[in-house]
Amino acid sequence: MAIDGLIILDNTGRPIIQSGFRSTSPSYPLLHVDAFNNALPKSHRTGDIDPVIYVPPYNVADSPSACCHVECGDMRILCPVSGDVDPLFAFAFLQTFIDILREYFGALSAATLKDNFDVVYQLLEETLDSGGHPLTTSPNALRDIVLPPSLLSKLLNVAGANINSTINSGSGLGAAGGPFSSPIPWRKAGLRYNSNEIYFDMVEELKAIVNKHGTTLTSSVWGKIETNAKLSGTPDCLLTFTNPHVITDCAFHPCVRLQRWKRDSSMSFVPPDGHFTLAEYRFTPSSTATTARFMSAGAPTAALAAKENIPIPFLLKPTVELTETGGTFEFKLTSRMPSQAMESVVAEMYLGEGAGGVKCVASRGDGGGNVGRRGQDGSSSGSNTGSWAFDAKKMVVRWEIPVAPPSSVWLLRGSFTSSNSGARPAHALQVRFAVSSYTFSALKVDQLKVTGEVYKPYKGVRGRATANVEWRW
Amino acid sequence: MAALSLENASRTISENASRLGQRLQESFSEHTRELSIAKGSSLYLEPDDKGKNIRKQLDSSSDREKLDAMKRLVALISKGRNVSEYFAQVVKNVASQNLEIRKLVYIYLLRYAEHEPDLALLSINTFQKDLTDSNPLIRAMALRVLSGIKVPMIGSIVVLAIKKCAADMSPYVRKAAALAIPKCYDLDSTHLPALIEIISSLLRDRSPLSIGSVAVAFEATSGGQINLLNLLLRYARTMLPRPSEEEIDSDVKFLLTSAEPLFQSRNPAVVLAVTRVFYYAGPPSYHSRIVQPLLRLLHTSKEVERVVVGYVLAVSRSASNLFSAFYHQFLPTDRRSPAIHSAGIYCQFTCSLHVVYLHVASQDYADDPDDEIVSDAISAIGRCAHSIPECTQQCLTALITMIKNHRGKFYAVVSSAVMVLKYLVQSQLATASSSSFAAVAATAQQSPLKIIAQLARRIDDIKHAQARACVLWLVGQYSASNEPSSGPEGVVEWAPDVLRKSAKGFAAESPLVKLQIITLAAKLLVLSPSDRTLSLISGYVLSLAKYDLNYDVRDRARMMTSLLSGLGLSEVVGAKDPDQESRGGVILRREQVRLVLFDGKIGVVDTQEELDLNVAALGSLGMITHKPMHGDSVLPDWLERGVESSLRDTEDDAPPPPPVMSFSSSAPIARTRGLASPVVLTPSGGSPTGGSKAQYTDLDKFYADEDEEDEEEETESEDEEEDGGEDEEGSAESGEEEESGGEKPQGHR
Repeated sequence: MAIDGLIILDNTGRPIIQSGFRSTSPSYPLLHVDAFNNALPKSHRTGDIDPVIYVPPYNVADSPSACCHVECGDMRILCPVSGDVDPLFAFAFLQTFIDILREYFGALSAATLKDNFDVVYQLLEETLDSGGHPLTTSPNALRDIVLPPSLLSKLLNVAGANINSTINSGSGLGAAGGPFSSPIPWRKAGLRYNSNEIYFDMVEELKAIVNKHGTTLTSSVWGKIETNAKLSGTPDCLLTFTNPHVITDCAFHPCVRLQRWKRDSSMSFVPPDGHFTLAEYRFTPSSTATTARFMSAGAPTAALAAKENIPIPFLLKPTVELTETGGTFEFKLTSRMPSQAMESVVAEMYLGEGAGGVKCVASRGDGGGNVGRRGQDGSSSGSNTGSWAFDAKKMVVRWEIPVAPPSSVWLLRGSFTSSNSGARPAHALQVRFAVSSYTFSALKVDQLKVTGEVYKPYKGVRGRATANVEWRW
Repeated sequence: MAALSLENASRTISENASRLGQRLQESFSEHTRELSIAKGSSLYLEPDDKGKNIRKQLDSSSDREKLDAMKRLVALISKGRNVSEYFAQVVKNVASQNLEIRKLVYIYLLRYAEHEPDLALLSINTFQKDLTDSNPLIRAMALRVLSGIKVPMIGSIVVLAIKKCAADMSPYVRKAAALAIPKCYDLDSTHLPALIEIISSLLRDRSPLSIGSVAVAFEATSGGQINLLNLLLRYARTMLPRPSEEEIDSDVKFLLTSAEPLFQSRNPAVVLAVTRVFYYAGPPSYHSRIVQPLLRLLHTSKEVERVVVGYVLAVSRSASNLFSAFYHQFLPTDRRSPAIHSAGIYCQFTCSLHVVYLHVASQDYADDPDDEIVSDAISAIGRCAHSIPECTQQCLTALITMIKNHRGKFYAVVSSAVMVLKYLVQSQLATASSSSFAAVAATAQQSPLKIIAQLARRIDDIKHAQARACVLWLVGQYSASNEPSSGPEGVVEWAPDVLRKSAKGFAAESPLVKLQIITLAAKLLVLSPSDRTLSLISGYVLSLAKYDLNYDVRDRARMMTSLLSGLGLSEVVGAKDPDQESRGGVILRREQVRLVLFDGKIGVVDTQEELDLNVAALGSLGMITHKPMHGDSVLPDWLERGVESSLRDTEDDAPPPPPVMSFSSSAPIARTRGLASPVVLTPSGGSPTGGSKAQYTDLDKFYADEDEEDEEEETESEDEEEDGGEDEEGSAESGEEEESGGEKPQGHR
C-alpha cells in the first residue's frame, strides 16, 4: 500500500506545495491537478464532486490512476493513487496529514501554509517516504524532528541562536533527548508542567431523518472524546464510566489498551501530549440491541429498527402547499428538550431552481416555560422571534433561532414564487442545532485515576451535543 | 576608597552594559533580514524570484546566505519549477554544520537524486559519512538519498548501507533501512540474497529491547498494520487450506482472532484491511463481524463514506443479507450536503435490501428536486424488483403510480419510471416464457401485459423522447394477441390506438420516436395484415417517414416498406414506387417478416449492470472507480490442502514459545505474541542493557497473561511492562513495514 504523492492546491486550483512523486513522469502530478480542476466545475452543486476521480493514463503504457482529494480550509489536498491501492488508505493519510498541519499551524489556510512552506516541506519529508509509505505520523514524535513555528523559535532565530541544531542533534542532549528517545512512541519524553491538567470533551452528533408522518426513519448518535492532556512525566490514566453500556462500536487512539476495554469497559492509557481524540463511539439507547444485531442473517424486524431509534429532541409540523407558480409554507417547531435550551437552531429548505419572491414571518408561538421566556426578553428582539433569510444563490430559505428554551414554540410562515413551471422545492427541512453541556447518551465519567506519577492532576469533563436532522414533508 | 572602588565597579558595569547593548543592537540590525523571515516565509514565494544569485549564495561561506538560498530553492520547487540545475552546488552543502541547512539540502536531494544520479554519485562519500552521523535524522536521510540514487553501480554500497542501518540503534533509522530494501531490489535484483539475509536477520532477532524500540518506530504508523494484514491474507490464501464452517485451519483462526481487535482502529484503512481478512479468509459465519465496523466508517467523513459505501455495495451483492438489517443506516442524513456523491447509490442499496422500506425511501427521493437523484432512485426500484422477485409487484405498482401522479410534470420522473418499467416488463416476460413464473405472472394483478396496456393508454402523458420511444416499442413488441377483441384481429385492442395517436403527431416527434413509430406500424401490420384501417395508418406513417429530414428515419421507412412488400402494403400506399416491379429480389412471406420483426428481441440485456465487480477485490481502487486499474488485486485461491503447518514453526534457537503460542502451531508469519519478537527489527549489534533478560521474560509473561498484569499498575517496574503492553498493539505494526519491505522481493522471486 503506497500512495503516489501529495499536492496542495489553493482556492484557484494552483498547486502551492507538492511532494515528491513516485512516478518518474513529470506530467503525472499535473494530470491529477488538471483532472481535479476539470471535475470541479462539472459537479453541479459545489462540493458535490466525487472524492475519488478517475484519471485516465496519459500514455498507453502508463497505468490509470485516481485522484483522491479532500477539502481543507480554502485549500484542496490531492492524493494521487494508482494500482490496487485502497482509496481509504489515501484518505486516512490525508486526514493524518491535515491533523498534523493543524497541530502545527492552528487554523489552516493557503496563506498560513505559504508563510511556513519550509516547515510544511519538512513535515512532508518526514511523514511520507519517497516510496509513498507513511513514515512518522505521530504529532508528538514529529515535534521532536520538525520544530513547530513558534514565536520563541523565531525570536531565537533572530537573536542568532539556532534552536534547531541544539534541539535536534541527539549528541547535544545525550541519550535522554533527541528524537525518538521516548519509550512510548506517541508521547514525548521528559515533559514538565507546572499545573497538571487533563480535559475531556464529549462531543456528540445526532443525525436523523424523519419522514412526513413524523416517524423517525433513521437516527444515530456518534460521539467522540476529545482530550487535551497537559501532564508531566509518564502518567498512566484509567478512565472509568458509570454507564459504559450506553456506548458501542468504539474506536480508540492507539494509546488505549484494547484488552482492558474488552474486559471491564474502562479506558486505560498513557496519553499523548496535547490534543488528541481518545475514542469514538456510538450511542446505543438499548443495550439489548447489541446482542440482537449479531444474529443478523434473517430478515430484520421493524422492532429492531425502532428500538435503536433515538428520540428527536424537537417536533416539527410542516404545512406546505405547492401551486404552479410557487407555494406557501408554515413550519411549527417545538422544542422537546428536557431542561437545556437548543442553541443556534438553523432550519434550511431548498426551494428549487427559479425560486424567488420569498416572504416570511418568523415568530414565537405560545408555550414554553414562561421563565425561559422572561429570561429571553432581556436579549435583543430578534432572538425572541427568530429570523429568516433567503439565499438567492443557493435557493435556500434559512430560518434561525438563536436560543430555543425547553418546550418553546416557534413559527415560520411564508410564501415563495417560482419562475419555472411548477415549483419543485426539496421535500425536506434540514434542521441543525447545538446544546452545550449536554450529551444524548448521558455517558458519565465515574473517575479518572492517574498512576505512575505523584501529582494529582486537575480533571475536567464537558459535554456538547449537536444535531443534524432532516425532516421530510 | 570604598566609594571610589564602588564607583569604579559601577562604571565598569555600566560600560559593560552599554557595550552589551551595542552588541545586541548590532546583532539585531545584522539580523533584520532574518526578522523579515520571522514574519513568514511567504516572501520566498513572491513571484519575482528568478533564481538569481542562488548559486553565489550557495557557494558563500555564510550559513545565513546558504540557508536563504536553500529556502529559495525549496520555494521554487513548490512553485513547480525544476531547479535541478543547482544540484552540484547544493550537494556540496550536504556536509554543512548547520542542521537546518542540512535538512533542506536533504529535502532537495531526496527530490532530485533520482533524476541526477551522476551528480549524486559525486557526493556519495558524504552520504556514507553521514550514515555514521550522531543524529539519527541525518543517518536516515542519508540512507534515503542513497537508496534513491538509481545507479545500479552503487547497488553494493546501498546494500552495505542498509545492512548498517538495519542494525542501527535508532528504530527510526531501522525503519528507513526497511523501506530502502525494496528500492534496492528494484535497482538491482542480483542483490537479492544479501537483502534476504538482512531481512531474515531483522525478522529473526529477538532482542527484548527491540520490542519496545521497534514499537517506537512503528507503533504510530497504521500503514504498517495494513501492509501486514494484507500480506498475511495473501499468505493465508496461498498456503493454507480453505476454511469451512466445520474445519478452520488453526492458523487461519489465529489470524482472525489476532486481527479482530484492529476493527477498533481509528484509521479507516486499517479497519478495511481487517475486513478484507475476515471477508476473504474467514468462513461465512465470520462475515457478519465486518458489518458493524464498516457501518461505523460511514460516519467518519464524507470521503470515507463514499468509498465505504462502494465496498458495502459490492459485499452486499454477494452476501445481501449481511447488511439488510441495517438498511436505515445508509440513508444519507444530509442530502443537501456535498457528502453524497449520488444519493442513488443509497437508494439502490437500501432498496435491494429491504422491501418494506422501498416505498418510503425511493418515493421520498422521487420527489427530490434533483433530477439525477430522482432517476437514480427510480432505477433503484428497478434493481430492487429485479433482485428480489417477491417485491416485483410492489415495485411495479410504485412505478405506475409515479407515472400516473406526475402527469408529465416532471419529465425526469416519468421517463426514468418508464425506462425501468420496460426493463422490468421485459425481464418478467423473459422469465415467464422460460419458467413457471408464468403462473405467477398470470395470477398477479399487474401482469406485464396489463402494464404495457396502461402505459399505452398514457402515451400522451409521456413526453420524454426516450420514454416515448420505449413505450412504443413495448406496445409493438407485445401487441400480439389471439383473443378476440373489438379491435382488429390478431392484435390487442389498445395497440392500434397508440399507432393512431402517434401517427397524428408524427411530424413533430423526435427522430428516436419516429423510428419506433415506424417499427410499431410495421409490427401491427404484420400481425393483422387484413385490417384495412391499420394498413392505411401504416401506409401513412411510412409515406411520411420516406420524406423525413432525418436519413435514419428515411432508411428505416424504406427498409420496412420493402420488408412488408409481400403483405400488400404497396396497394395501400398506392404502388407509386416505379421501381417496385422491376426490382425483383426476395419477397418475404408474412411469417418470415414476423420472424424478422419480433424474434430475438426478448433477451434482456442488463445495461444497468456495471463492470463485473467480482473481478476487483474489496479494498482496491478498481472497485471504486469501476475501471480496471492494472493492479494485481486478485487474491489467489485457497489450496485444497494447506502446506505443512510445521513449516511455519519457528525453526531456531528461540526460547520456548510462550504459552499462547501453543494453541496455534504458529509461526513467523502469523501474528502471535511470539511473533512480535521474530518480526521485530532490531539492531543485531544493539547492546541490550543489563537485566534485559529478566525484562524479557517479564514481557513474555505480560503478553501471556496480560490480565493479571493489568490489575496492578503501581510500581515503576510494572510501568515499564505497561509500555510493553501498549506495544502489543503496535507490535503487529512493528513487523509489518519490515515484512512488506522484506517480503516483496521474495514475492518477485
